[in-house]
Amino acid sequence: MENAIEVIDLVTYYGDRKILKGISFSIPMGMTTVIVGGSGCGKTTTLKHLIGLLRPASGSIHIHGKDIAAMDNASLDEYRKKMGVLFQGAALLNSMTLAENVALPLREHTKLKGSVIDIIVRMKLDLVGLSGFGDFFPVQLSGGMKKRAGIARAMAMDPVIMYFDEPSAGLDPVTAAGLDELILKLHSVFKMTVVVVTHELPSIFKIADYVVMLDEGEVSFVGSLDEFKKSDKAIVRTFIERRAVEESISPDNYFKIITGT
Amino acid sequence: MKVETTVNSNYTVVAIAGEIDMYSSPQLRDTLLQLVKNKTATVIVNLKDVKYIDSSGIATFVEALKKMLSYKGKLKMAQVPDRLMEIFNFSKLDKVFEIFGKIEDAANS
Repeated sequence: MENAIEVIDLVTYYGDRKILKGISFSIPMGMTTVIVGGSGCGKTTTLKHLIGLLRPASGSIHIHGKDIAAMDNASLDEYRKKMGVLFQGAALLNSMTLAENVALPLREHTKLKGSVIDIIVRMKLDLVGLSGFGDFFPVQLSGGMKKRAGIARAMAMDPVIMYFDEPSAGLDPVTAAGLDELILKLHSVFKMTVVVVTHELPSIFKIADYVVMLDEGEVSFVGSLDEFKKSDKAIVRTFIERRAVEESISPDNYFKIITGT
Repeated sequence: MKVETTVNSNYTVVAIAGEIDMYSSPQLRDTLLQLVKNKTATVIVNLKDVKYIDSSGIATFVEALKKMLSYKGKLKMAQVPDRLMEIFNFSKLDKVFEIFGKIEDAANS
């Protein structure tokens, strides 16, 4: 199994706080890998490193054999052209129509003529079920439609890797399921490597081939979806069975917290 | 990407080899628009040796077809590899282009 991404001993801090504590894992090429874990486990921070938005304190991130953590900005920009990202809030530019949003990366990064770009934009909007919405502005769309438009823009440059940050966040279950179907469809046709950050169990079970689980900045599980489902690791069982975890605070610590000492 | 144009009595074959992507598709566009400019009645695109096509390549064909329809010209696809056919089907392009197994079939249709 060839790997698209290899993360080796990745460490990062927000201020003095160590967020990723030397994590290592691989993401197989051409598969859908889901990065899971509870809120605050470091999954979005990991994603930000994979797309080159954050630089690690130490460690490396090899994508198709090249360490993006060691790249200069120009090389990083070239790498970013080959990947697409759906951000949590879709990150559409509100002052532009959907068509202009989708066209933006093509106008910025290619020398394609406007007439060709217009056709690509219509194809991408159709791909995500938004034919005829090109002249709409983001504020005129529902949450699910915004996400679809975000996918159309992320797909504009025909990426080889697609990243999705919490695609179901803020969506009703039916719309979220529709988005999962779309991710599956895009993956099966375009054979891309897909990386999805989520904590939604129905999404994980529907779209994942491979699962990376994080807990408090460390990797707690790596394996196929089947292995994930069958795992007897306590942390995995707690996550799958949606059991609450009690915070353990000693009386002394609690006193310090409420007195601010 | 290599583009080779062969003019026959009733049709012109554009044989493409390699990868049609955002960088190479403008070259293909130049070739096709030249044929459009000459009002070539039937263009058959031989895709047998195409390893990869991206959205810009597909959009280039769509643009050429649109322009050819204005003078009732025909743009036909032949010898489409399975991988490309999958993308054509998914993008509903199998309903946009006439697709043939062999060049002769495209020529005789």
